[in-house]
Amino acid sequence: MPGERDNEAMVLKDMVLVHGTEAEDIDLSLLKDSLMKTPWERMQANDDALNFGESLRTAMQKRHAKPK
Amino acid sequence: MQNLSELMRRLVSSQVEFVLVGGFAAVAHGVTLVTRDVDICCRFSEANLMRIQEAFSDLHPVHRPRTDLPLQLTSEQCSRLKNLYLKTDLGVVDCLGEVLGVGGFDEVLKNSIELELPYGNCRILDIDTLIKAKKAMNRNHDKITVMLLEKIKEQQN
Repeated sequence: MPGERDNEAMVLKDMVLVHGTEAEDIDLSLLKDSLMKTPWERMQANDDALNFGESLRTAMQKRHAKPK
Repeated sequence: MQNLSELMRRLVSSQVEFVLVGGFAAVAHGVTLVTRDVDICCRFSEANLMRIQEAFSDLHPVHRPRTDLPLQLTSEQCSRLKNLYLKTDLGVVDCLGEVLGVGGFDEVLKNSIELELPYGNCRILDIDTLIKAKKAMNRNHDKITVMLLEKIKEQQN
């Protein structure tokens, strides 16, 4: 919904202004990208990140399981 | 649509010299925090940077700080770049020439381990070096990551 996204963009702008000193700790461009997405798209992106992380963890477990 | 595994597969199959560092390296070691961007430390030679460009060429890669600038590297740029922050159709990849607290690519490579992924092998920063790097970064989420990595180390010993 465009209206919803506009509101979120304002939230982001406010956050930058209010928490300007914390901005260095936070990747605001990632946050901005996230706010451009619909909630469903965010959930899909989250799923994808989890799946990628899981593939890395599986590879690490396989590595630990190998005889040294 | 985001597809981080596909980004990684492309880096591996394009024979980019890189080591996975940052949040996803921590996830590989067992950290349960969620992260979004793929951070890699790579050799900042022209050949390697061109491999990255080629790997993502059909994904509309742009410079993340300036998304109006498409990725169109020249030899001159390659010689000057220290980091490359990219946004593609499949997700965000931050390419770093060095890792704070560790050093340049060769030092990072020396402190990495190999993982077998379904599409090929990739290297990730080892747990001790990752802790060192995260301590050096010292942002709020790095502090939490360090606590979790140290707990994981305790469990492993």
